[in-house]
Amino acid sequence: MNAQLFSSEELERRRAASRRLGWALGAVVLALYLLGFFIQR
Amino acid sequence: MDTATTTAHGHTAGDHGGGYHPTGILRWLTTTNHKDIGTMYLTFALIMFFVGGAMILAVRAELFQPGLQLMQPELFNQLIGVHALVMIFAALMPAATGFANWQIPLMIGAPDMALPRLNNWGFWLLPPAAILLTLPFALALFGIGDGAIATGWTFYAPLSVQGGIGVDFAIFAVHILGISSILGSINIIVTIFNLRAPGMTLMKLPLFCWGWLITAFLLIATIPVLAGAVTMLLADRHFGTHFFNAAGGGDPILFQHLFWFFGHPEVYILLLPVWGLMPHVLATFSRKPVYGYKGQVYGFVGIGVLSVVVWAHHFLTAGLPVPALLYFMYSTMAISLPLAVLFFCWIATMWRGAMTFETPMLFAVGFIVLFGIAGLTGLVLADVAADAQYHHSYFVVAHFHYALFAGGIMGVMTGVYYWLPKWTGRMYSETLGQWHFWLTVLSFNLTFMPQFFLGLAGMPRRIPDYALQFAEFNAISTVGAFILGISQLLFAWNIIQCARGHGPQAAGRVWEGAEGLEWELSSPPPHHSWAVQPQVK
Amino acid sequence: MKRYATTVAAFLAVQLAGWTCAARAEFNWNFPPPATPIARDTLAIHNEFMLIITALFVVVFAIMIYSLARHRKDAGHAPANFSGPRGALQWFWVLVPFAILLFIDFVLMGIPAFHAVIEMEDTKTRADMVVKVTGLQWKWQYEYPDDGIRFMSNLTTPPEQIAGAVAKGEHYLLEVDNPLVLPVGKKVRVLLTATDVIHTWWVPQFGVKRDAIPGFIRETWVKIEAPGVYRGQCAELCGKGHGFMPVVVQALPEAEYAAWRDAKKIELAQAAAGADRAWSKDELIAKGKEVYAKQCAACHQPEGQGLPPAFPALSGSKIVNGPLLAMDGKPLPDSHVDRVMNGKDGTAMQAFKNTLDDVELAAVITFERNALGNQRGDMIQPAQIKALR
Repeated sequence: MNAQLFSSEELERRRAASRRLGWALGAVVLALYLLGFFIQR
Repeated sequence: MDTATTTAHGHTAGDHGGGYHPTGILRWLTTTNHKDIGTMYLTFALIMFFVGGAMILAVRAELFQPGLQLMQPELFNQLIGVHALVMIFAALMPAATGFANWQIPLMIGAPDMALPRLNNWGFWLLPPAAILLTLPFALALFGIGDGAIATGWTFYAPLSVQGGIGVDFAIFAVHILGISSILGSINIIVTIFNLRAPGMTLMKLPLFCWGWLITAFLLIATIPVLAGAVTMLLADRHFGTHFFNAAGGGDPILFQHLFWFFGHPEVYILLLPVWGLMPHVLATFSRKPVYGYKGQVYGFVGIGVLSVVVWAHHFLTAGLPVPALLYFMYSTMAISLPLAVLFFCWIATMWRGAMTFETPMLFAVGFIVLFGIAGLTGLVLADVAADAQYHHSYFVVAHFHYALFAGGIMGVMTGVYYWLPKWTGRMYSETLGQWHFWLTVLSFNLTFMPQFFLGLAGMPRRIPDYALQFAEFNAISTVGAFILGISQLLFAWNIIQCARGHGPQAAGRVWEGAEGLEWELSSPPPHHSWAVQPQVK
Repeated sequence: MKRYATTVAAFLAVQLAGWTCAARAEFNWNFPPPATPIARDTLAIHNEFMLIITALFVVVFAIMIYSLARHRKDAGHAPANFSGPRGALQWFWVLVPFAILLFIDFVLMGIPAFHAVIEMEDTKTRADMVVKVTGLQWKWQYEYPDDGIRFMSNLTTPPEQIAGAVAKGEHYLLEVDNPLVLPVGKKVRVLLTATDVIHTWWVPQFGVKRDAIPGFIRETWVKIEAPGVYRGQCAELCGKGHGFMPVVVQALPEAEYAAWRDAKKIELAQAAAGADRAWSKDELIAKGKEVYAKQCAACHQPEGQGLPPAFPALSGSKIVNGPLLAMDGKPLPDSHVDRVMNGKDGTAMQAFKNTLDDVELAAVITFERNALGNQRGDMIQPAQIKALR
């Protein structure tokens, strides 16, 4: 595979993508936490 | 733009002009470097390992003979619970996270983790949490409150609703520890997804990274449930709710469902990083490629998925309906299948290799055998009918120590011996390592093998005093425990000496058979790890 | 190679020596002798499973040990370079263990396990009698609903034995004042509940362990095959007395059981009748002292000093020294009587009205007000307690 090595723009784009995914995962965590309060047996 | 010179701390001299490079305490407080943060996680874990170990040695000293010699039951109940919380949340998990921080960027050819500042916060949440967990002990000495949490690490309601301020401290500690794990997991997932070097497809991702990827998803799925459960507990304790109180329309067993929905995946969270690093070690010291890479990846995924649907096997005597009992029995047994795939691949990696037995390999082999005992006794525990005898007896205590000490902790030791030369640039003492290994394995078995038989003989767990027929095995177990505890000082000494720069210099490729990107860097690696990405073929 | 062989040999020798010594002493290696059909079943399943996993362990690790011995660099073995199964034969070697494990799991182990579970959970078919077991901190209460019999079962091991001041008795920590008495050969349906926290009732020789959960009823069953005394313990951490609330069951042949049951009914009727007469203060205080020692001293301490904050002191307590009842004889909330009879929600103070009879309640309340450093001077009659129920 002869892919290009990451330029600093590419790296910045990937870091931004990471931040977005990070927030999304955090939202999932919060949702699960709140969902738990409504579970009844 | 890194230079060729590196100091023993992986800190390059003359980096970028005008860069922020504090020294001393400020360096450690503000670092965003994955290697520094990894070091902090590992140091914290080592200290807490000894703290948790000291607690349980006090317990085993009390259990040396029938009768109450050293402490009252109240203190005993605190020590066993805090021991578990410390070992799980403050030793094993931070150690695994330390590995992740150090190794994942090196292994995937990334300059650092994707979210370096989040990484720093993830670590620095840990010391306050550790203090919260252990502070109640100290407060009780001054007459404030009646000690730390005394319900066992499982916090079962209604006992935990009754408990003193120690429970509240523990609830807050667990919340903080949970947040730390979540932050770490988010970082690991986004780093692995987004920062792999060109050419590294997911199916070329080193198995250690795969192990942690699954672990991170499990953490994200289950820590919120634990957090919810302990929040409900806090509410029942102080805000007049009745989540777990039958008189108010609630149900104590709801707590158990919520807790173990987290609790069972948690044990795989503790083990997956270790299962991920085993193939690296075995392949290196067998001088052979990893066997069954895809099988192991699917194995990790399979175990991860299954782990989320078997939780009730932790409370089979609570009176679940028959269909539930049967379901949980069969689903739990099903986990033996992907686990067997892993065992098969580990042994097949060794098969027809050219093995040498430096300390990491000794620990890896010891891990396979002793963790095998854990897995097999786990299979037996799954049987609902026989579980009536095993549940909450020392049989279970023995089983999970084989899983979490021989599996988790010895796995961590494997990783430490394997990677310490890479991290510090120095070889540890092989003689000391070998002594540590044999003493650990011998004393570990001396401590925990008798406990299987104590359980079969009818000894319940979490009791400070016991009937006379349990005396001999308890005495043996205590002797083993003290030898085990003292042997770990060899481990600490070996690490400290390495970190201080003693011992022969280590090459970049520390081990003859080592494969992987991390071995192409110097030991220790340069400050920015992969400042220029490698090309992965 | 020689160095490793010596090390491994030494290691094995130590293990062998250790376990031989162990085998010669009086150790237990398996479940205690079964006394019910479930225990028998469980023992058989356990033995079968242990055999299977031992076989698996030995086979797999024999293969691994062979590899450790043969496939070493210093034995001159050159490493292969396969990374997965190549060819049909190798796929066979991969899939066969998988299939064997599948068979072991779901047929060899799974089928007997299925039958055992169904059997164990069938509490109602052909049940001959019912007993109700209530877990409390830190004792058991046994009730025979059909006969109107109810009593507490407390640990009788003296504290001096626990503290090591005197030698320990044979049934140290496994002896009680009032065991659960059951007939041999009858299927007994056991209902379980608790008053405060989760306890677990466990008798290893019965093969039975079931949680006792406050606010819920769980059940299990036993059919004891031979007369004898069977001992077990609480198996769910329930506070500081968790290790000190044993389960003792005395199994009697049918005729003797009937005799015991009738005698017990008479004994309890006499005690209850005590509630209908007037008691003197001294009688109440004397009786109350006994009740206090058994039921209250564990938490509130023998001299009433308590273990604050969890267990308040009774000496000089505002509640103990407060009024007994309202002016019109009605109960007062948060009063001494209320506290003892109804407990305090969210704490370890349970509602003793369920577990002590009128005489015991009146006696212990009177005792607490006239001893332990208190001198209220008043008393309450069993009849008054009875009227409050």
